[in-house]
Amino acid sequence: MAINIVVVVREVWDTRDLSGSVLDGAGAVRAGAMETRFEPEDLNALEAALRIKDAQGAQVTAIAVGETRSVDVLRECLYRGADKVVRVGADPAGLDDQALAALIAGAIAKAGPCDLVLVGTAVPDAENSLLGRHLAAALGVPAVSWVDAVEEVGPGRAVAKRAVEMGYEFVEVPFPALLSMGVALLEDDPRAPRPAKAMLKLKMKKAEVPVVSPADAGAADPAALVAMKVATMEAIAPRVIESQQVDPESEAALKGMLDAVLKGE
Amino acid sequence: MPNVLVFAEVNDGVLHDVSLQCLSAARQVAGAGGRVSCLLAGHGVAGLAPALVAAGADSVAVADDERLAAYVTAPFAKAVGACLDANPADLLLLAASTVGNDLGPAVAAARKAACAVDCDGVAAQGGTISLRRAGYDRKVMTTFVPAAAGLVVGTLRDGAAPAPAADAARQGAIAPLALDLTPAELVSKVLRRDVAKKTVNLKDAKIIVAAGAGVGSPDGLALVRELAQALGAEIGATRAVVDAGWLPADHQIGQTGATVRPDVYLACGISGAVQHRVGMMDARTIVAINSDANAPIFKIAHYKIVGDLKVVVPKLAKLLKA
Ligand SMILES: Cc1cc2nc3c(=O)[nH]c(=O)nc-3n(C[C@H](O)[C@H](O)[C@H](O)COP(=O)(O)OP(=O)(O)OC[C@H]3O[C@@H](n4cnc5c(N)ncnc54)[C@H](O)[C@@H]3O)c2cc1C
Ligand SMILES: Nc1ncnc2c1ncn2[C@@H]1O[C@H](COP(=O)(O)O)[C@@H](O)[C@H]1O
Repeated sequence: MAINIVVVVREVWDTRDLSGSVLDGAGAVRAGAMETRFEPEDLNALEAALRIKDAQGAQVTAIAVGETRSVDVLRECLYRGADKVVRVGADPAGLDDQALAALIAGAIAKAGPCDLVLVGTAVPDAENSLLGRHLAAALGVPAVSWVDAVEEVGPGRAVAKRAVEMGYEFVEVPFPALLSMGVALLEDDPRAPRPAKAMLKLKMKKAEVPVVSPADAGAADPAALVAMKVATMEAIAPRVIESQQVDPESEAALKGMLDAVLKGE
Repeated sequence: MPNVLVFAEVNDGVLHDVSLQCLSAARQVAGAGGRVSCLLAGHGVAGLAPALVAAGADSVAVADDERLAAYVTAPFAKAVGACLDANPADLLLLAASTVGNDLGPAVAAARKAACAVDCDGVAAQGGTISLRRAGYDRKVMTTFVPAAAGLVVGTLRDGAAPAPAADAARQGAIAPLALDLTPAELVSKVLRRDVAKKTVNLKDAKIIVAAGAGVGSPDGLALVRELAQALGAEIGATRAVVDAGWLPADHQIGQTGATVRPDVYLACGISGAVQHRVGMMDARTIVAINSDANAPIFKIAHYKIVGDLKVVVPKLAKLLKA
């Protein structure tokens, strides 16, 4: 029997090529200074779900919280092969992962029976998101974090390949379960989760995205659930490094560099 | 003064060095009036308790149980919970490892506690505990505080606190912790582990030559190896190289690998992702070889060599041998 998989996806700041200061004078993130992107590990989570669907059939539902800024992650999920999407109609600004998890858990419960929930582990400003753990607690299901691949699926269980220091562990969990997907490492092609498909784009461009309100998700006042808040944000002064360019064509330059480095200059 | 519980992580019978750093952070936060307790959980770990007392714990609860032989979230979270019930704490500190970053949030979720992971520091002022973390590509330091009174959970990065000085004369209470586990808490099972034994000592290396995905193949890696030999250096790697299977995991440097502070760090074909940089940016001298003049690694390099490592690396090795 085809299983039901929920993938939680997020649109996050793209901090990779950040130029200029991230913060404005008041210590808030300058939204204009940054692009957003589909959180890469959430894209891995989606890819993992779609591979299960390809291999043995599955109903894949993607859930996101909040309005689109510039990347419509839910539609991107449809373009890649998700069957259904749900938007939680709440503003994630100011909410911590505990509050977000309550909203998402409510939306999952409304979406119907679910065997596996997949989320990405990291967000760029906090390499480890707490969302998976809080969501597992809110749903009351076992969870495995830092999952690089789903090794086996069903019946009634999954085996997850979990990255640990110095290697991997293979962890079995019974359904329903939650897996937080790690870095990239979808074995055959680590850096390329599948792209959007032109045909699905045409078909899904106008698809309706149902919205679940916080009240419907069972958390009428998500702000009341926040446990950890940001007190201050301060720009970290970039390290000033005296650096010099070394011409790789010049043997003398390379030799000079080696001598200086090895003498500890 | 806050009371602090530290989760002492054990890997292959060895106390995690960042857990020991957590103990010294805990001592500092607790000050003179607070208590620092420790949970030592696993199988065959009881013998490590005196080392935790020597490193600063006032008391150690020992959950030595064969059901804790491999790390699985639920039973370990239960052990931490039992410890907190018996000895209420204001702050729980763990290493920001794949265990700590799983367990800390699990405990926080179960107790609706405030939690921050991958922190660069912890402080207590006027009764408020705060955790801070460098985020947004290490461009912003964010300070977190709990929204309400209650437990605060934090995981600390390697280097967030100094290693404690061991004092064998310190006194502390060591007591067993009884664990009552339900079948529901034992549903997840580690079927097998595929974990490398440590064969390199990157932490004490004076010179590290590190290979990134730019080496392209085991042949490219061989060039890097030759240079390392000529320098008497250890070989480090990015996660990309480890994942490609070109070097075992104990060579990995970065957030999920070793944190190193050598005199010289030679980065060959490494882009300089933040997860790699956090593990090596405190090296005294950084040399980067990369064919892409815009690679982020150049922003922290003292010597920048824009070029093909397959040409530059053998040149350097030859110069050293001459
Ligand atoms: C939660 C998490 C934890 C992580 N932990 C770690 C960690 O502990 N350690 C770690 O390293 N990474 C870690 N990563 C991965 C990290 O994000 C990067 O993907 C990784 O560091 C990239 O490795 P790289 O620089 O070797 O490869 P790439 O980013 O692919 O860079 C290769 C570089 O080689 C250059 N190059 C190519 N050919 C040549 C040539 N012939 N000569 C010279 N230069 C050349 C290219 O210009 C490029 O800059 C983690 C990621 C996450 C999300
Ligand atoms: N890169 C990111 N990492 C984590 N959270 C993010 C990121 N980008 C956006 N967000 C979330 O989006 C919310 C809204 O951002 P803003 O309105 O700019 O303050 C923030 O409070 C964050 O919770």
